[in-house]
Amino acid sequence: MKNSQLYKGSLNTIIMKLLEENGRMYGYEITQKAKEITKGELNITEGALYPALHKLEAEDLLDVEVERVDNRLRKYYKLTEKGTKETVNRLSELEEFIKNMQTIVNPKLSY
Amino acid sequence: MKLSKQQIEHLYQFTRQHFVEYYDLQTELVDHLANAIEAKWNESPNLSFEDALQMEFKKFGVFGFMDVVEKRQKALSKRYNKIVWHHFKTFFSVPKILLTVSLVFGLFFFIKTFNPNEVIIILFGLILIIILLELFQKNKAIKKRKQKTGKVWLFEQIIFGYGSFSGILMLPFHILNSISNSSIQQNDYILFGISLLSISMILTTYIIVKIIPSKAEDYLKETYPEYSLVN
Repeated sequence: MKNSQLYKGSLNTIIMKLLEENGRMYGYEITQKAKEITKGELNITEGALYPALHKLEAEDLLDVEVERVDNRLRKYYKLTEKGTKETVNRLSELEEFIKNMQTIVNPKLSY
Repeated sequence: MKLSKQQIEHLYQFTRQHFVEYYDLQTELVDHLANAIEAKWNESPNLSFEDALQMEFKKFGVFGFMDVVEKRQKALSKRYNKIVWHHFKTFFSVPKILLTVSLVFGLFFFIKTFNPNEVIIILFGLILIIILLELFQKNKAIKKRKQKTGKVWLFEQIIFGYGSFSGILMLPFHILNSISNSSIQQNDYILFGISLLSISMILTTYIIVKIIPSKAEDYLKETYPEYSLVN
């Protein structure tokens, strides 16, 4: 990650967006997907991902499923109904944020 | 290449060595490490299992899994508090509120008639003894189960460790004890407030010591889909 501080505040939203698009996912898959989409720019660290997932789960925004895959148990996360609604809110919040940042960073582009 | 059963077992051991006591977290971390190691092997097939593991573990940072464990504890405590609150609210809605109100008034008149300090000391002393007895019994049961299955579940430990409430339970005892007799008995409002507070605390105690542990199995199954898979 180029500047992790900047991404930090949006980590939950990024996770929720990924789950919205991909249905259920497991932890490692999320880190890989984020890397893939951003062509290696966004590297969600393990130490940040799981706490974020667990927090979202505790807030009833995510639900979990467990399955036996290869010789091990795999925990999948997916959005709950509440989580799906919340994703819409958070994404529009994030878009608003991006818009404002753009105005600040590049005032000439705004009207 | 996929990891063998032995290597998975080794990963479980690895998480235990790095202070992840709880089976639920161990399982999630084991799958993560296993995926990462398998991906590493796809890039460089000659890498040894141990080297690949060390490389992946480093990504967790200097504190290793500690941060993940700590945050998980926080998240599950939040879940626990929600469950307690949910049960608590039922005592203030029909039909249980009838019981609650009669208990509050019962205590109110009791303290008004008798010496409040003595009443309170006896009351909370009794509660303390009940809690200690329960705690002792439950811990024995958990230990026994751990010996049998080798697994400790974080949420189970929170349920039987009574979340973070155990310290707060004795709080009203201290508050009430520090209020002098005369001022309490003269003011009905204070007396009523104390009765309400005491009954609320007793109900909370009852919820976390009796109600929730009796439903522990259900809550664990709800929290951990893998619970019925491995037990």
